[in-house]
Amino acid sequence: MMKIKRILIANRGEIAVRIMKTAHLMKIETVVVKTAIEPYAMYLTGADVIFDNSEDNSEIPVFLNIEKLIAIALETKANAIHPGYGFLAENAYFAQKCIDNDLIFIGPSPDAIYKMGNKTIARKIALASGIPMAMGSEGNIANEEEAAVIAEKIGYPVIIKAASGGGGRGMRIVRKADEMEKMFIIASKEAEKAFNDPSVFVEKYIDNPKHIEFQILGDSKGNVIHLGERECSIQRKHQKLLEEAPSCALDEKLRKKMGDMAVQIAKAVDYSSAGTVEFLLDTDKNFYFMEMNTRIQVEHPVTEIITGLDLIEQQIRIANGEELRYKQNDIKLKGWAIECRINAEDVQAGFSPDPGKIENFNMPSDPCVRVDTGVQTGSSIVASYDSMIAKLIVRGKDRKDAIKNCKMALDKVWIKGTKTTLPFFRMLVRHQKFQDGTFTTSFIEKDLEKYYFNSDYEEMLAAWLSTKLFVEENLNDDSINVNFEHGKTMSPWLLNKRINQF
Amino acid sequence: MANDKIRIKKLYTLSSENRKFSFSLPLKHKIKIGKREYEVKLKADEKYGTYILWKNRKYPVEIIRSSQNKYEILFNDISYTFTVETPFSLQRMKVLNSNRGKIEQEIIKAPMPGKIIDVLVREGTTVLRGEPVVILEAMKMQNEIISPVNGMVVKVMAKPNTNVMKDDILVEIKL
Repeated sequence: MMKIKRILIANRGEIAVRIMKTAHLMKIETVVVKTAIEPYAMYLTGADVIFDNSEDNSEIPVFLNIEKLIAIALETKANAIHPGYGFLAENAYFAQKCIDNDLIFIGPSPDAIYKMGNKTIARKIALASGIPMAMGSEGNIANEEEAAVIAEKIGYPVIIKAASGGGGRGMRIVRKADEMEKMFIIASKEAEKAFNDPSVFVEKYIDNPKHIEFQILGDSKGNVIHLGERECSIQRKHQKLLEEAPSCALDEKLRKKMGDMAVQIAKAVDYSSAGTVEFLLDTDKNFYFMEMNTRIQVEHPVTEIITGLDLIEQQIRIANGEELRYKQNDIKLKGWAIECRINAEDVQAGFSPDPGKIENFNMPSDPCVRVDTGVQTGSSIVASYDSMIAKLIVRGKDRKDAIKNCKMALDKVWIKGTKTTLPFFRMLVRHQKFQDGTFTTSFIEKDLEKYYFNSDYEEMLAAWLSTKLFVEENLNDDSINVNFEHGKTMSPWLLNKRINQF
Repeated sequence: MANDKIRIKKLYTLSSENRKFSFSLPLKHKIKIGKREYEVKLKADEKYGTYILWKNRKYPVEIIRSSQNKYEILFNDISYTFTVETPFSLQRMKVLNSNRGKIEQEIIKAPMPGKIIDVLVREGTTVLRGEPVVILEAMKMQNEIISPVNGMVVKVMAKPNTNVMKDDILVEIKL
């Protein structure tokens, strides 16, 4: 029986839309929160209840305000909360607060969140479970001298990581002993600033690894299965840009071995929900446990495509106390899926965020394409939140087919108003190293000379357009006489209007 | 300049990476690739906004900035900066650039008409920026003419007790 009747979605953007979609299919009502920053956001349409929080002048965004969210859930008579990803998704205190208020937290137990959230505790659990790990300090380290001693023992390069970290912050690679002091201080300060906890630990740095993660599902009865891997090696400064499932670096044997390890570590914390165990895979196919994410991931759709499962539905069912309906043998991976994160970023300016209003938004509707988005024409990408515009998820019967479909789909995406990561993906799908699958996490930093793709024709057409504008502004009616008096600075708006009149 | 009407047959459009495209006037809505000409159409509608239609494909275009002859265009999500030059402005730019090319030479000219009182350097002397090279008397005042650069004096045109006109070359310095 479904106990969950109404879910407060403690999130925004595409993940709020995504959660709502499944809730509707399951005939569960949803509550969303309207904020002053995004009063017309797409995630507000289609919910059963909109809680208007736009009068709230607090400096903390509502999605990070535990007391407020609990109060909203109680007031709107929601009996469950889905945190999505980011914000409070991996906050053990929030999960506990939900339980204390008789609200079902759609996620793992506070205990599992806490243990996996603290990297030093997670390392100890992994070690006790016999999971291969990069060598490193047993716990947090006190100072740079201690770090240097450990680094001497395991050999450089090493990486300093924040104990409470994630998302690449509070991490520093140290290649030589004389860099240790400086890097230790930087990492520790960054960790304190980002996670309110300066503790760091040291481990062996794996050069040029692939990022391989396993999706797992565990229920409250102690059953845990894995849904295969995702490869997320295409990243920049530890931020993932493209993910695919499965990975061409794994064969059945390695998949089983790594998958079993992922299940084992989840069992060690009585994990019950959807979760992700991240590994690094070196060039000799040795793998090392990195961390476990106790939430739904941005890249979950690629797993949904190759397994045919709805992961949000699984999360809800597990939170409802249901037993998993699948055994490990029921899970068959079929086909290939690629996800491109289309962000409002300027690839030509080092992926710097480019917030703005989306003036036109058209996505391909081919059967091989799935689009997860919280954006429509007229939406704004605001600087206060992440730069995600949409996830373009493409399937194929195998990797080659998926890349081919992805290339086609990328040419059909039409977004105007902000610069996007599209030119990067157009380059990527044409790159030899991407096509043959030999790329690693250092691909963007090391193997690329140019971050975007354009044909010579495109530059020429842009030149033609500039010339056309010049002619319109500076030349008289007979088109061949220059009048330098005109053609002063003109607002782009006016120019666009003028083009429209051609 | 308002009445300077000059017949122009061609425009040169230069990219910020110094690639040059030339277009004949009147500007055709066609672009030649190899032996074939392809039609270029600039269009706009509700769904797509402004776009260029070329070889049966739509490309999104936006004008980011425009000032005088400089344009920043977003074409298919990539930004380009161009300057559009007429044959005359291109020629002028070339001259300016070639002058800029000789920047290893600094020419010190007389800032005003007057009489050279003293020349403080000889050919082969090294000078530092701010160092006086010539004393020029004008309007009953002695003015120190100083070197704006560090370098070596390669030519001295100024002679003591001679009169100079404005912009006469006094000293040439090699950087």
